[in-house]
Amino acid sequence: MTFTFDEKVESALRLVIDPELNLNIVDLGLVYGVEVDGAKVKVTMTMTTPGCPMHEAIAEGVRNVLAQLDGVSEVDVAVVWEPPWNPDMLTADGRAQLGFS
Amino acid sequence: MEAGSLSFGAVKPACPQRYPVQRAQLAQENAPSTRLPMGFFLFALVALAAGAVWLVAEPQAFAEYHYRPHTVAMAHLFILGFILSVVMGATYQMVPVALQTKLFSERLAQWQWGLHAIGAIGMVVSFYIWNLKQVGHFGSLEFVAMLLFVYNIVRTLRHAHQPDVVAKFIALAMLWLFVTMSVGLLIAANKFWPILPESPLALMHAHAHLGVIGIFVMLLAGVSLRLVPMFALSEVQSPVRATVALVLLNVGLVDLIGAIVFQQRVAKFGAALTVSFGLLVYGFEMVKIVKARKRKAIDWGLRYFFTALWLLAPTAICGLILAWPETPLTPLTVQLENLYAFLGIFGVVTLGIVGMLHKIIPFLVWFQSYSPLIGRCKLPAVSEMSSPRVAAWSYFIFLGALPAVAVGTLFQNKDVARIASALIASAVFLFLVNMTLVLRHWVQPRTEALSVGTKGAAA
Repeated sequence: MTFTFDEKVESALRLVIDPELNLNIVDLGLVYGVEVDGAKVKVTMTMTTPGCPMHEAIAEGVRNVLAQLDGVSEVDVAVVWEPPWNPDMLTADGRAQLGFS
Repeated sequence: MEAGSLSFGAVKPACPQRYPVQRAQLAQENAPSTRLPMGFFLFALVALAAGAVWLVAEPQAFAEYHYRPHTVAMAHLFILGFILSVVMGATYQMVPVALQTKLFSERLAQWQWGLHAIGAIGMVVSFYIWNLKQVGHFGSLEFVAMLLFVYNIVRTLRHAHQPDVVAKFIALAMLWLFVTMSVGLLIAANKFWPILPESPLALMHAHAHLGVIGIFVMLLAGVSLRLVPMFALSEVQSPVRATVALVLLNVGLVDLIGAIVFQQRVAKFGAALTVSFGLLVYGFEMVKIVKARKRKAIDWGLRYFFTALWLLAPTAICGLILAWPETPLTPLTVQLENLYAFLGIFGVVTLGIVGMLHKIIPFLVWFQSYSPLIGRCKLPAVSEMSSPRVAAWSYFIFLGALPAVAVGTLFQNKDVARIASALIASAVFLFLVNMTLVLRHWVQPRTEALSVGTKGAAA
């Protein structure tokens, strides 16, 4: 079975975990967008709160996983605060894992 | 999607198989180096362990009148050695993070740690042997350490992007820290140069209330308004309510100190009511924050902290009884003062701090050991670094100790006080076991290779 590049990117991003919530950043709803331009990947994302102490570490984690993908030569991670993250951005899986009713 | 079938390049950095890995390549946004707060926390844990052993050796600390050298020394070991050390370390760590600014000077903070450690140890030993001249000397050292701490934090607060109600709580706690230490030093100086006309006992009670309410409760309240929403996925429900609590606490404290020093019984009760009402408003806001949380599970760190908040109620009730103008001065009410102090220092402040340490220390160790490896290795979650079962035992043993403390203290029963001391020491021991489990990750990080390609495998 083969995968599209977008699927590979999404799967790679799921390897980046918020260590406090123990949930990957995709299911947390932190990833706002991914743009692919040839070998360059730009990820637009946020954190659960401004001033999150894991800011740099998580952004670096995104660079690490995407840089390991075949065909990727450059990764740009843009952390934005608009719109601010809120728990409604969690995926269904994320909600289940955090025990939401 | 099938597992294990994605193609990752083989030439890029993978999970290191050998240690030590290069650590802390990343900085936490705005936070100082991890070693700075950890230095304060490790000193605090040693002080807590020493205090627990001491409590077992001298359980009569609960059961006897509190104004005796060993009890005063023990109180300063817990307050300066444990509580204040945690407060300083946590403030250095959290103020820059919470207010999105840089710490004014990390170097200054390192020097301050040294002065604080020497000052605190010296004060405890000097109280123990009741050498008040040396108390004054080491107290002066501690005073300088406090001045450096306050200066560093105030300079940091000035650069805060959003000086909200949390910043105001912290700024006022810094002010009260300055006042508390000044009064403490004045009390020591008064032993040699009697300059104060008022009762030294009244001044000591004022000193204690300044410390517990002005510094510790103020900081716990302020920091919790930022951290509890962060950990529980919630938000402050009413900034106005938080501000009302801030105003009531501070106005009440000013009145309370004046009434204690000048021994105005009616005014003291009014001030105690104002402080209690402030705590009630703050507690109401916390209940609202918790009810609005999106993260259903409450972990042990938060459970400790919320229990500490609930213990504000019996503490405030004891305070109100003692402040009631018609309360007679009897052996029972004198012992009620002991219980009041115990509930305030151990029940509220220490338990609240222990709860926060369950969150902060694992996070710092995790960051130090694992942050450069995010996306490269399968890493433990913060919650997996300690044992929930050990935390649960520690929690219930401590709760079990509270009735024993109450009975042993109020009725001056040394046997019950001995049981209470042993229970508290056991709870502290278990807490320290858990912290040791966490610190093992600092010494020897544990990683596994990533299981690539499994959708959701990372979760």
